[in-house]
Amino acid sequence: MSTTTTGKIEYLPRSRRRTLVAVALAGYPVAVAALVALKHTSLNRWLILAVYLLLLLPTLAAVFVSIRYARGRIDGRCARLDERDLALRQQAYALSHRVLATILIAATAITEIYLTSGYTLRLDANTFWPAVMWVIVYIPALPSLMLAWIETDQPADA
Amino acid sequence: MPDSQRQGYNRLAVLRAERGLSRKQLADKLGINYQTIGYIERGDYNPSLELALTIAELFRLPIEAIFSLKPMTPLSEEIFREPPGEPR
Repeated sequence: MSTTTTGKIEYLPRSRRRTLVAVALAGYPVAVAALVALKHTSLNRWLILAVYLLLLLPTLAAVFVSIRYARGRIDGRCARLDERDLALRQQAYALSHRVLATILIAATAITEIYLTSGYTLRLDANTFWPAVMWVIVYIPALPSLMLAWIETDQPADA
Repeated sequence: MPDSQRQGYNRLAVLRAERGLSRKQLADKLGINYQTIGYIERGDYNPSLELALTIAELFRLPIEAIFSLKPMTPLSEEIFREPPGEPR
């Protein structure tokens, strides 16, 4: 990616970054839900795949931009981190842990309610892979998403 | 930075302008990122005691002349303020 684009990402206002984070977090579950719903229709499977990918695209773009925004500050590899960056990174990791804990507790509670209501949960590729993909994509990306969420707008250059 | 942090006030922007330093130049002298200078000037981030003391040392001023927890009056007003009880 060019330096200009990276520069633009670096200066993204907080409101836009928060929208991206929201899209990144909500996009995947929405795409999976749409896929599950469309599978029960008589639509052509290629059309279903196209709709799924179309819904997934904004999520991937939002995750990519958020990771790009936090690049070097979350892993500490590419940039020199000063005391503010380190404090912010710590805050982002703490927030990631809180978000992850909330999601896991909510998922466990929903599953528990579902199972105790007399329904049965079949663990097959249709339920297992979306969960695995969520873990693979979101757990590493969560600190970057949280950093993009909490960072304030950069002061104007002077 | 942390939203829970108490708002701090400082004269960093004025002092930097007086000495004709850009944020980048000041940041390089302090060994921090130039954006951090902007955040401090804007009151969005309160520097650590170590950084505040380094800044005070760099400007050769007492720390309380640069940082405060209360809104700061302009330096010129403080310099030319008449001592209490002195006739005009």
